[in-house]
Amino acid sequence: MTALQANRRPVRGPAGGRSAGGASHDPRSAAGTLCLKVMETPNAPNPEVTAPPGTSADVNRRLGGLLEQIARGDQAAFAEFYELTSRRVFGMARRVLIDVELSEDTTQEVFLQVWQSAAKFNPEAGSPLAWLMTISHRRAVDKVRSSQSSTDREAKYGASSQDIDHDSVSDEVGSRLEAEAVVRCLDTLTDTQRESVRLAYYGGLTYREVAEKLNAAVPTIKSRIRDGLIRLKTCLGVS
Amino acid sequence: MTDMSAHNNGRVPSGFAADIATDLASGRAADLAELYALNAVDDAERAAIEGYLASAPQAERAAFNERVRQARETLATSFTAEEEPPAGLLDRIMATLPAQAPAAVPATRPVQDPAAVPPVVARPVREASELPVTDELGAARKRRDERRRPQGMRNWLVGVAAAALIALGGVGVGAYVANLNDPLNQVLQAGDVRQATVDVTGGGTATVSVSPSKDAVVVEMNDVPAPPPGKVYQMWLIQKDGSAPVSQGLMDAEALSKPAVVEGIGSAAALGITVEPTGGSTSPTMPTVAAAPLGA
Repeated sequence: MTALQANRRPVRGPAGGRSAGGASHDPRSAAGTLCLKVMETPNAPNPEVTAPPGTSADVNRRLGGLLEQIARGDQAAFAEFYELTSRRVFGMARRVLIDVELSEDTTQEVFLQVWQSAAKFNPEAGSPLAWLMTISHRRAVDKVRSSQSSTDREAKYGASSQDIDHDSVSDEVGSRLEAEAVVRCLDTLTDTQRESVRLAYYGGLTYREVAEKLNAAVPTIKSRIRDGLIRLKTCLGVS
Repeated sequence: MTDMSAHNNGRVPSGFAADIATDLASGRAADLAELYALNAVDDAERAAIEGYLASAPQAERAAFNERVRQARETLATSFTAEEEPPAGLLDRIMATLPAQAPAAVPATRPVQDPAAVPPVVARPVREASELPVTDELGAARKRRDERRRPQGMRNWLVGVAAAALIALGGVGVGAYVANLNDPLNQVLQAGDVRQATVDVTGGGTATVSVSPSKDAVVVEMNDVPAPPPGKVYQMWLIQKDGSAPVSQGLMDAEALSKPAVVEGIGSAAALGITVEPTGGSTSPTMPTVAAAPLGA
């Protein structure tokens, strides 16, 4: 079950869980802190090292190491990187593009870019997973906009969002606790904020297209997207 | 400019305009960071934001980049759909991996099917916030300032005049062009589009497809080597009236493979490309590596 799917059928976190999300923490990694918060253990001095296996902090640490090897031309490291992340990349491409072949093409382009750009990855500018998903989303959105009209995209998005129940969360890319934190935080957004952000992300729509689809004023949609993402960021403790 | 950043720090809670240009003009660039990170802007708007930031004060650029970074982390954490890719995809990818180029040596771009290259405008100034504010940088900027106008402008226009036009004439529209609404395709398919190819210093060529009726030009780099470490390519519009060149955004190694749309060319005499420090410069460092006339 992914956060997105859960979000469609909202699942409340445990009582009091909502207050756990806050910006007052200083997580080196949002994921590590979320786990620690949930478990009510003191902050570890170095979450990168002590992050529980399977959390995104742990995955990011592994991916960062692999990227260094890939930058030196290590094909085995590349294959391992693919094994850890390809479900995420393909899963996102499928949500945006629907079409299997286009999604496969996109996934191929993304990993080719990983191979060619690994040396340019800068850990100070963001986590490996965010770097990868940024590349992936951009590629998927570019492809969907050049291959389909926005009307088609909206229609297809509508169809796809009812057909998303076969998602699975692997142990490698996020622990159960993290997934629950995401569900809880998505739940702090207003319905309209959540819908606007989701339409933009998985629908590949511009803010203008979101406004048309939701029959809302353009400035309103801009605010919803901005405020929704900021609220989500704060709740998740992204720093 | 200072007015804008002051306004920005005093952050107005709402008040987006309907269009991006107005948001930028009213000092709301940083408030566009989330839309930008979400790719919820079109190519022309992305270019406008990047163009604005390229010449914005460092603090404003840093604030924007920080919000983009946080938004990207948030998205990567929150939207986690997964699906098993087709069997054998890894093998197919491995079979096509080009040799890894040593970082310092500019690699020749792999030949790519145009259909596989999504239309993209110059890449974000993601690294801008990492720019070390060192004396060295300040010194470099000063040197640049010293050797700029009027000599620089003159050199530039000479370069434009001397640019070898390899091709000029009607453009065959690629079969891959699919969406008429896409700004890129609107230009490429315009009835009055004219194309010119100029050499790029250091290797490769740049092709410009100019459409006066669309008031836009599409720039495509062909076999142009990646910029040296710590550098980016920056595109400029050289104004007919001799006023300061206007930045149109940055191109890093990744963006080189994709066409870029530059709009609002009515007052411009030429498009120039320079090599600038990562994050871009507020005015071009001479000489240009490529310059293409936009008029006549």
